Amino acid sequence: MDAATNALTGQGISLSFGGIKVLKGLDVTFRAGEITGLIGPNGAGKTSLFNCLTGAYSPQEGQIAYAGQSLDGLSPAARAGKGIVRSFQHVALSLDLTVLENVMIGVARNHHAGWLNAFLPLPRGRAERAEMERAAMGALTDLGLADAAHSLPDALPPGMLRLVEIARAIVGKPDVLLLDEPAAGLNNSETRDLMQTLRKLRSGGLVMVVVEHDMDLVMSICDRIYVMNFGEFVACGTADEVRRDPDVIRIYLGSDDD
Amino acid sequence: MSDILRDLFPLVWSGMITGCLYALGALGLVMIFKCSRVVNFSHGNVAGFAAFLIYGFSSGVLLELSWGAAVLLTIIAIIAIAFLSYAVVSPLVFESDLTATIATLGIGLIAQGATLLIFGADIVSLDLPVPRFSTAVLGLRITGYDLTVLAVAVVTIGALFFVIDFTKLGIAFRAISENPFAAEVCGLNLRSVHLFAWIVAAILGVVGALLIVPTTFLSVTTVAAFMLQAFAAAVIGGFASLPGALVGGILVGVLMNLFTFYVSPEYSSTFLLGLIMLALNIFPNGILARVEGFRV
Amino acid sequence: MSDQNVSLPLSPVDQAGWRSLISAQVGTWLLIAVALCLPLVVAGSWVFALGICFANAIGVLSVSVLVRYGGEVSIGHTFFSAVGAYTVAILDTRFGIPLWLSVPPALALGVVAGILFAWPSRRLSGIYLAVSTLALALAVPEIINNADGLTGGYEGLYVSEPLVPGVKMSLQRYYAALAVLLAVTYGLARLRRSRQGLALLLSKSHPAAADAFGARQVWARVAVMGISGGIAALCGAMLAFAGSTVSPSGFTFWAAIFLLVGSVVSVYGLTFPRALIGGAFLTLIPQFLSASGAWIPVLYGVALLGVILAGHYLPRLTQAMGRRKGGA
Repeated sequence: MDAATNALTGQGISLSFGGIKVLKGLDVTFRAGEITGLIGPNGAGKTSLFNCLTGAYSPQEGQIAYAGQSLDGLSPAARAGKGIVRSFQHVALSLDLTVLENVMIGVARNHHAGWLNAFLPLPRGRAERAEMERAAMGALTDLGLADAAHSLPDALPPGMLRLVEIARAIVGKPDVLLLDEPAAGLNNSETRDLMQTLRKLRSGGLVMVVVEHDMDLVMSICDRIYVMNFGEFVACGTADEVRRDPDVIRIYLGSDDD
Repeated sequence: MSDILRDLFPLVWSGMITGCLYALGALGLVMIFKCSRVVNFSHGNVAGFAAFLIYGFSSGVLLELSWGAAVLLTIIAIIAIAFLSYAVVSPLVFESDLTATIATLGIGLIAQGATLLIFGADIVSLDLPVPRFSTAVLGLRITGYDLTVLAVAVVTIGALFFVIDFTKLGIAFRAISENPFAAEVCGLNLRSVHLFAWIVAAILGVVGALLIVPTTFLSVTTVAAFMLQAFAAAVIGGFASLPGALVGGILVGVLMNLFTFYVSPEYSSTFLLGLIMLALNIFPNGILARVEGFRV
Repeated sequence: MSDQNVSLPLSPVDQAGWRSLISAQVGTWLLIAVALCLPLVVAGSWVFALGICFANAIGVLSVSVLVRYGGEVSIGHTFFSAVGAYTVAILDTRFGIPLWLSVPPALALGVVAGILFAWPSRRLSGIYLAVSTLALALAVPEIINNADGLTGGYEGLYVSEPLVPGVKMSLQRYYAALAVLLAVTYGLARLRRSRQGLALLLSKSHPAAADAFGARQVWARVAVMGISGGIAALCGAMLAFAGSTVSPSGFTFWAAIFLLVGSVVSVYGLTFPRALIGGAFLTLIPQFLSASGAWIPVLYGVALLGVILAGHYLPRLTQAMGRRKGGA
């Protein structure tokens, strides 16, 4: 696969809520095979941009495309069907389901057994369940969560739930993976495990975007970093370029000279 | 053509009169919903119980009081019931409004059972001491009952809006309806405002029940059935808007009247169902819990 | 989104561990065995009442499934049970079609009715949906009464066609209702483990997350209402067969509220024993209190409040107890 053609792109994305411009005509290209970081202060518009990419919000202006195909007007569910998957800033797991079952939902879009299989012990439904369980168990094992597979989310600490959320996002082998603050609430060793996993995931076909406040994580795993402030990109480049950018320094270290 | 017009005006007029009563019921539902997001399904049954209490206090079944004293005593009893009901529901209100709403169904069932236990399943009649006269204005027959209903509705609703607009409790009520969290941070007591709404609603229910009963007989289900139109009125008005409840009540009164006369008297509940579904889908403003822009 | 969640005392399987799970299973099997043998020992009137109890248990399940998988409350499920009941009764009295041929169309019509109701109300939730189901329940008796050419109006219809010719009718009524109840609980147990079931449960608590994994909210609502409507129609079908008569008095607004009461009393459980608790509450209490009918609504109301308040206070109480123990 050619990395350049499989990019997720946005052109001139503008979003406003009741007159307040949240995103101001953003142009962006997230390339396959790279991990792209999206950083910026709170309220900069990072999650809003995510929501536009996944279809939860529809921007007033601008086009979003993946691999050259326009995604405009597609629902989140339809985008999920195209392999665009996200994790949530606030852990969004069902408390009725075990950890394993929550992760199984991540592969649901690849399965299509009909409603009869849901109520009757038909072979296709059984095979589907076994297949989904196997995949989910694999993802949990990768993230070191195999022991918690049969627990309910209630019984686990927040850091582990965050990882379950990520397991659910990666288990379906997505083409585009959008992670919203994956390291929030994780302790140091959990963050290290997460970085390891994300590096392992980096492959030729996968577009990976990470919104994160943990600068160490972003600087060490991201190939390219976009810095946002007030709904605009302030800077873009490799970790070193961004670190040296005067605008970025001003945003992050305060603006005494204004 | 002229026949249709000749029927139309009296139909609209009498529809407006019943509509005022639906509005009284709907206002009570909206008061409670606005501040606590709970739909009070016990409203009709409690109001029906109140009507029976007035009957019981004035007819010699329980006591032999004058009509005015019976009403006063009933209102005191109803306030006590509202207080009790809210005491039962209040811990649930802060947890889940849907659970609290189911709990009001329980209260309604108890009120219905209590009515049956005390007064039996018989039909009784309860009259209003209103002047019996009727006059014709532009071909409309207007009775003393009509004018009483209109006057009581105007005075009651006027008083309600005055209380909400100008008294301290009313202002707290509005603040909490707008934003309960902010209002609580500002030191307003949610519980006392909720209780205020429950008591006002209960009194509105008594007034509505008193006025509706003379048009029919009083049985266990009369007032509860009447309150179902009040539900429709509240839904059409947006459920969270007091003026909306007023408009909705009159609209339901008039439309039901026209429907039963011109189309079919047998399908009035089905018509009501259609009306509610239509209102919920076409005028979702203030009705939909969340239209768009949810946070994830 | 507090309006999405109906709070309940839940019993998490995993915390209880496998041992109690197995003992629960043994209990269920025992209960089924008892239910199978009961007609041999109890009097005829009880066999009849228990048949209706099983049918009502199915109705309780239809409301519970909506709560569990949709997070919504209905006070209008008599609409769907009436669809099932009249399908069976009309096919029986008009065309002499026996139950085993009339249940599939009853189920199908119930599902269709559920979907048809779900579509216009797909954007309503919580209290708004509950109020629109209320309107649904109100319209039912009126529609039945007015379509008297088809439904027999006020008088109702008598279901007489046997399922298996030659077997005592009272036993047929009992076992058919029991069989359908068992089938429904089995189907629901499978649903809980199915792909669709998982997606519905996620959609209930986190609609946006479910959306992001391909399960659209509208799909979830329509699916849940379809399932719930179908089960309610099965309840109606079995009420018609086990109760032998179908009339509008069985599908009043109060009957709809009672279904919700049964569902709450069974703590929205979807298992055979829980459904039985709900069904027994709806059937056997009126049986016991038939001499003093006015106590029925009082008792139902008190039970409803009792279970809800217990669901509110018990977790707090056990928590407080646990804390005291931990501190000592």
